[in-house]
Amino acid sequence: MSNDLEDSLRAALRPVDPGEKFTAGVMARIADESRRTMRAPRPHTTALRWTSVALAVSLVIGILVARELQLRRTQRGLEARAELLQALKLTGEKLDIAYRVVNDEEHAEFTKDSGV
Amino acid sequence: MNTLSKRTLPTLVAMLALLARIAVAAPPAPLKLPDFDALAAKAAQSVNITLDSNLLGLAAGFLDSSKPEDAAAKELVAGLRGVYVRSYTFDKDFVYAAADLDAVRKQLSAPGWQRLVGVHSGKEHANVDIYVSIEQGRANGLTIISSEPRQFTIVNIVGSIDLQKLHRLEGKFGIPKLQLEENK
Repeated sequence: MSNDLEDSLRAALRPVDPGEKFTAGVMARIADESRRTMRAPRPHTTALRWTSVALAVSLVIGILVARELQLRRTQRGLEARAELLQALKLTGEKLDIAYRVVNDEEHAEFTKDSGV
Repeated sequence: MNTLSKRTLPTLVAMLALLARIAVAAPPAPLKLPDFDALAAKAAQSVNITLDSNLLGLAAGFLDSSKPEDAAAKELVAGLRGVYVRSYTFDKDFVYAAADLDAVRKQLSAPGWQRLVGVHSGKEHANVDIYVSIEQGRANGLTIISSEPRQFTIVNIVGSIDLQKLHRLEGKFGIPKLQLEENK
């Protein structure tokens, strides 16, 4: 009895060559599965990818815009500084004329009117 | 320093101090400066500076405190609300008419403005009028009108003018040394 069962099992589990057809079928299914995966990525993966690209582009644009604004601000600041110094220089020149006139009693006629 | 300047300069300073204590109605500030477009076209050189409080703040940020000139300017600018300059230089004498300045002088006749000093230099044919405006007992504006045969200049400074700070600008930007220390 025991030997019969053993024989039956051995017979059932003996190595059997599946044949070339089986191997070819498995390989074809693997190839087909790979193609399908490559052709049609999953929807959420696509959205994530585009979101990442959009974020990266936005970041680059943001950095460029900020840099441009900073450059303009710097340029305007330097212009304003130059204008301020020029204004003070002109003010100084005119005050200097008044001072020289006050200081030069031989060549000037000095009038003083404070309105007080 | 001669006798006249020894007398007049302390007087000028004293007048400024006195004016600073007088509270009168605030003048419209800044002045409405004409465009002078026609004159600008004839001018060999023109300067048109308009610095409101925002631009003054921006300019102050670019002043280098380690440089004496910049440091003095930075300190002076702290109390200012605007700096406006119109200056035109011509190749010929008297291209502009005195009437061109009338619109500005008219504004300076409004209450609040006081003519501090007016000088005429026969040698240089230059007239310089200096006006100050007073608000709540403090000088809040300074206007200089300078007319020469080939140049006229209007400077309008709006804001708190600290004479001590102006004093510290002596020797810088061509501002003469007032020798206030000796006169104390």
